[in-house]
Amino acid sequence: MPSCRKNSAALAEEAPFATVIEAAGRRLLAAVNPAASAAGLAPGMPLADALSFLPGLATAAAEPAEDRAALRRLAEWCGRYSPWMAPDGADGVRVEITGSAHLWGGEAALTADLMSRLDRQGIASRIAIADTLGAAWALARFAQTGERIVIQPPGDARDGLAGLPVEALRLDPATVQGLRRVGLKQVGDLYAMPRPALVRRFGEAVARRLDQALDDLPEPLSPLGETPVRRVRLSFAEPIADPADLALAAERLAKDLVLRLAREGMGARRLDLAFHRIDGQVERIVLGTARPSRDPHHLAALLKERLDTVDPGLGVEDMILAAFAVEPLPPEQIGFAGSPGTGTMAGTASLLDRLGNRLGLDALYRLEPCESHIPERASVHIAFPLPSRAGGEGRVRGAVSRRDPGPRSPAALASAKPPRPIRLFEPPEPVEAFWLLPDDPPFRFTWRRRPHRVMRADGPERIAEEWWRSEGSGAVDAIRDYYRVEDEEGRRFWLFRAGLSDGSQPPHWFIHGIFA
Amino acid sequence: MSRDLLPTLRERIRRIERPAAAVHGVLPFGVAAIDRALPGGGLARGAVHEFAGMGGDEEDGALTAGFAAGILVRLGSHPNSPPRAGEGTGGGIVLWCLPRPDLYGPGLAALGLDPARLVLVQARRDAEILWAVEEGLRSAGVAAVVGELGIFPTVASRRLQLAAGRSGVTAFVLRRWRDGAQAARERGLPNAAATRWRIAAQPSVPVRAEPGIGRPRWRVELLRCRGGEPACWEMEVADATGSLSLVATLADRPNGPFREDAVLPQKFRRAG
Repeated sequence: MPSCRKNSAALAEEAPFATVIEAAGRRLLAAVNPAASAAGLAPGMPLADALSFLPGLATAAAEPAEDRAALRRLAEWCGRYSPWMAPDGADGVRVEITGSAHLWGGEAALTADLMSRLDRQGIASRIAIADTLGAAWALARFAQTGERIVIQPPGDARDGLAGLPVEALRLDPATVQGLRRVGLKQVGDLYAMPRPALVRRFGEAVARRLDQALDDLPEPLSPLGETPVRRVRLSFAEPIADPADLALAAERLAKDLVLRLAREGMGARRLDLAFHRIDGQVERIVLGTARPSRDPHHLAALLKERLDTVDPGLGVEDMILAAFAVEPLPPEQIGFAGSPGTGTMAGTASLLDRLGNRLGLDALYRLEPCESHIPERASVHIAFPLPSRAGGEGRVRGAVSRRDPGPRSPAALASAKPPRPIRLFEPPEPVEAFWLLPDDPPFRFTWRRRPHRVMRADGPERIAEEWWRSEGSGAVDAIRDYYRVEDEEGRRFWLFRAGLSDGSQPPHWFIHGIFA
Repeated sequence: MSRDLLPTLRERIRRIERPAAAVHGVLPFGVAAIDRALPGGGLARGAVHEFAGMGGDEEDGALTAGFAAGILVRLGSHPNSPPRAGEGTGGGIVLWCLPRPDLYGPGLAALGLDPARLVLVQARRDAEILWAVEEGLRSAGVAAVVGELGIFPTVASRRLQLAAGRSGVTAFVLRRWRDGAQAARERGLPNAAATRWRIAAQPSVPVRAEPGIGRPRWRVELLRCRGGEPACWEMEVADATGSLSLVATLADRPNGPFREDAVLPQKFRRAG
């Protein structure tokens, strides 16, 4: 059953107040507080008219983007009731509480809890629970009971909505006006109307909205963000803010989650720990692991490592640990020293997780040999997570498409190729070089303002751009002549001359690497 | 009885003096002259070893990386970490923490080190690299940790030394200074590394009847060694295997048995 809440932009109770928005060159009221509303003002009214009614009206510019962001934060906060939540329009939040109301002691208890928390945050609200999103939306905004909480019993949508005005069907104003003009003022008036006539006259939206409200047509709720696969929640009687308490709670949540994962033979790959603060803000820790994990100590350690990034504010009242990506992890004995292989592999994985979560997963990579004679493509950086499964998940850094290198031993690679430097600069750095004959290596060059005299040199080794690659063709360095040079200290550099020395243009020299 | 007692006591003193080498064993260079100079006959495992470059290489760290790679090749064949299927040449992963992504796989392969064994960790600040090195030293399944550091404070070096001693993982700290000024400032500062080395390039000797560059030559200086004496050697690097060999002191001498007095005289020392 969805519950829908409406929060008006009410501020202070005493003085009439309104926010103003510019639309089509006119200044209109965007929202009014109860005092202004009592004086006859309403959103959409031109500011000039409003001031003629109420010269003492205090105004401020509306900030729709801020409002949307605030509503989104509020929706996120509602994640404490159910992971299925989303902002609804400009002034509402929808939450799918099917299956989670009993955790709060029933729908009445849930709404009471929600209302009291919203009141504490200073958010005026109306809450409705109904069978469908449409019905809840209508009841939250148009129910005439005077109550702020409306709970419609299951299966009661038809009677419950009959007395509401047609605006309650989420229709555009033109359609509403058309309906009113022919005397269809209440939702109940539409029940008896023949559908084809209704659709022909007012468009299919009327029929669709009516069906959605009455549960004749399903209306899925697309939740804000991703829906977690597994979720555990811890609520505190008193808000906590002490880092030690938070760490303890994180540990408990990790244990709870692991119990559930273990029952299903799954391991978590991605975790999200949300801290619901009493001021309605939500702080988060998002974690990734290199291998599916359900080691409570490991997960708790990862969470604790990041606790210092969380600002508990005045206190945290709920913590929700959610696993977003899970993968099968067969039952195993974890942490038994005698088990071959798994012990150290698990140790490595947890090390990589710690490093990756602190420095960023981009900071971890492997060097993968690649069949290419272009030096910078011959070794590519493969980011973690480790592509342990077939297909691989490793992202290739840079615009490099990886072809299958095939298994080759490092010795084979080394013997098949001319010497390669141990440090490679990407991009190559320009050097100022002096040379005699067109095909000679330089006899002197200056790199990083340090002069080097070339004592010995090997080369050239010509490396041309791979012609089948469209990008980079026609570039200055499409053809490079590489030289291995040794300076007077005995240091060895890998220099290249870009472009053909056909005399039309002076060639440029670059340093690409240093040999050990 | 008393004749037996003396070696026993000597061994006990040795253990007290060099707990790391005694507990975790050593990694021999395979070059007799160097191994003789090191207590226990090699680089102590479960300890921190520092390599610094010289001249321009203080900033680029090419020779130090090559020297470390040559050592890592031999680190794989440890009785405690036998090769496992799917893990390359065995010995677990090598964590290599560096500030710039300029380590080149084919260059490592040319020295005999399989790049697949490496996990590279890139972090901009020295503090982050120190942290990553320490994390690596604390975990199982790591064969060795390499950290490229500009600043290596004494307290941090002691922490690393403790972590390494506890886990038995060996750490290699490659000093990589930002510029000459930092190098001049940091070069002489003390730290708790078990050994401190300086590697400098030497002009190569052309292979006879072949033009161009000969094999790379390094001057390897052992500046500080706990329980050992400073020393200096001139080495030649054989490509494709990464194995070091001592060269005869005189350049034009044919390859013969190396001499006991391979420690170079002072005149080989070069400024800056």
